Amino acid sequence: MINRSIFGIAPPKLTYDVIDAEPPKPISVVPKEKVTLFIAESLETSSGLLIQTGAHVTAGEKLKLLPDSVAYAISPVSGSVDSVSPFTGIMGKQLTAVVIKTENGAEAPQADEAFGEAAKTPGLETALAFLAGLPGAPDFSALARKDDPVKTILIMGADNDLMTITNQFVVKTDSGAIRSGVDILRKMTGSRNVNIAMAVPANLVQAAGASGVSVKGVSNLYPQAHPEMVAFDFMGKDAAGSKDDMTFFSAEAVSKIGRAFTEGKIPFEKIITFVGKDGAKKIVSAPVGTHVRDILEKVGASVKDGDRIVFGGPMTGVSVYSIDHPVEPDTDAIIVQDKNQIIASEDLACINCGQCVRVCPTHVPVNELIRYLDAGEYEQAAERAELDACIECGYCTYVCESRIPIFQHIRLAKHALERMKAAEENNV
Amino acid sequence: MSNRMQLTVSHAPFWHTGSSVSVKYYHIMAAAMIAVIAGLVQYGIPALAVIALSVGSAMIWESIFNYLAKRPNTIDDGNAALIGLIFAMLLPAVTPWWVVITGTFLAIVIGKQIYGGLGANPFNPVVVAYAILILSWPIFLDYNAALVDYVFSFDPVYPMAAVKFQGAAAVENFSVTDLLLGRQAAGIGTGFGIGLIIGGIYLIVRGFIRWEIAVSFLAGIFVTALLFNLKNPEVYAGPGFHVFTGMSLIGAFFLATEDSSSPVNFVPMLIYGALGGFLTVLIRNIGVHVDGVIFALLIISLVNPIVDKIRPKAKRRVMNYA
Repeated sequence: MINRSIFGIAPPKLTYDVIDAEPPKPISVVPKEKVTLFIAESLETSSGLLIQTGAHVTAGEKLKLLPDSVAYAISPVSGSVDSVSPFTGIMGKQLTAVVIKTENGAEAPQADEAFGEAAKTPGLETALAFLAGLPGAPDFSALARKDDPVKTILIMGADNDLMTITNQFVVKTDSGAIRSGVDILRKMTGSRNVNIAMAVPANLVQAAGASGVSVKGVSNLYPQAHPEMVAFDFMGKDAAGSKDDMTFFSAEAVSKIGRAFTEGKIPFEKIITFVGKDGAKKIVSAPVGTHVRDILEKVGASVKDGDRIVFGGPMTGVSVYSIDHPVEPDTDAIIVQDKNQIIASEDLACINCGQCVRVCPTHVPVNELIRYLDAGEYEQAAERAELDACIECGYCTYVCESRIPIFQHIRLAKHALERMKAAEENNV
Repeated sequence: MSNRMQLTVSHAPFWHTGSSVSVKYYHIMAAAMIAVIAGLVQYGIPALAVIALSVGSAMIWESIFNYLAKRPNTIDDGNAALIGLIFAMLLPAVTPWWVVITGTFLAIVIGKQIYGGLGANPFNPVVVAYAILILSWPIFLDYNAALVDYVFSFDPVYPMAAVKFQGAAAVENFSVTDLLLGRQAAGIGTGFGIGLIIGGIYLIVRGFIRWEIAVSFLAGIFVTALLFNLKNPEVYAGPGFHVFTGMSLIGAFFLATEDSSSPVNFVPMLIYGALGGFLTVLIRNIGVHVDGVIFALLIISLVNPIVDKIRPKAKRRVMNYA
């Protein structure tokens, strides 16, 4: 939502959407023909694959490419494998897309026995082996780290992009599951004294209290609910030295962890905020892997050539190429924009108006930064213009008068620097 | 992925305020119109000719340069027209045509394009052009000489020149009201103070220019002029006079606020503006030039990149969160 000051001296402020007092019941979507799952591993060989086209898959079955693969996906449906193909994700990330044709009438997912057995002893190993693809995309890697252990787990009950109310919905309607999820997290961290806290919008502080952890209200001004901003706020001024000892879980991930262990089967239903062309929000519940096509059909939204479908919020999301793109574990929102609502970037130079500098939450000198980035001077950008301080909220690009795709420049620069760093480390 | 529907795919963010460079320049031109129309009423057809020639030739120079440099034509962004308009506002109504065309050439080509075009100019192009002209042919830009054929209902002497050479007593007859209502000899668009102020406030309210620069510039003039005036009221005119005559107001609202040559951080904006005001009065009172605004602006644009290094420290990321 955009609040424009009457006097206009202050730049327009972006505010998070806050969930209604009585949220509607989610619209449940069932995948019709196919689901697509992404495995975070590149498909380099076609021989010796564990997943073969035509093979039968049961709901809850773990899919791995090769016997010694670490990455996996869990099928939410029973059916047969339709195709296994390479897929290029954001920033050239190599993934493998597995398309599964669903079986007619086989809608009742069977409880997966392997997980049912493992769930009796809740712990980190079970989570790492079965729950990486849970709705809400939990990241257990920081908890698994042996040296320099995590001291704080922050549960994000506030959504970090605009329009999105997915995590708020979970906090509001599923506090019991969050509570059991928190208990599981405590078991995972074992005897270590880990501080668990939850950040929620101010109106949900009371509802979040039921989860049994300390609750912190966050401002509804964008991007104050961004995990980095919450971390600044949480750690106070001397955040230096506390690098890496904090990790984040979305409220949805915690609730799904809770459900997985109490019910003994892996939950697949992802809560999604669907925003149509008219800006009206709907809560949708669909298994991970469901194609957008099925969701669009169920909510009655029409999409034409030239429209844009965004996975994630309007500031930090990703637009997709096809209406057969699947719901991913971190797809908190799906936004459909009409062709006429799209404002394109332009090929103009920075005019130094300074709007970006005035909205940047971390005081990055964006006007200097963009000059380095435009020239491809990525190392200079990091050294002299605070490239690393950027938390990627997209605000600078939203206000840019020259309509420069600053955010994309920043992402490319960070990606290039990471690759350079990796290459240097490999050479040593 | 069998579907062939052509979706629009782009990068985040997927929202934009809708602001754009050309919208901004059209608004600045609209805001300047009040002062321009007042100038047309006062000086008649010759002033219209100067404005039309200035705007038109500025756009043509821009087109020619783009053509020669094999770059896309950029006259539709409105910047060339804006430069032409603001430049014409500084000129006396009877400026010879070749001075106008030379001026817009200097502004567009020497002031802007050779640095790389829009956004790359270290100085305000209009200021560069005017500075070169007034050093080259001061006689054509001298308001006293240029307006000699006009019959005014007020004292036709250029107040800035009068105070410079005859002392404060020479301008006692100019009340602040007279100056604000344009009852003074001046450039086409620099005399009607109230129009410039209304235009400037409109631009500030709409967020097209930065209030910090305009306000600190005027405050700098006021305070410095006041100090001089307190020291010797017979030689130095009062602060009200300095703020409302010469190029003070157009300088504060339309020249100093040019984006590319001004700072963007809060404290630097205040320093930039105040320094500009201070230098303006310094040049007017003890320098050799009649009006100091143009040269003060050149100097503060020179210090702009250094001053703008004064900025809040960036927040360091707490952790490596991917």
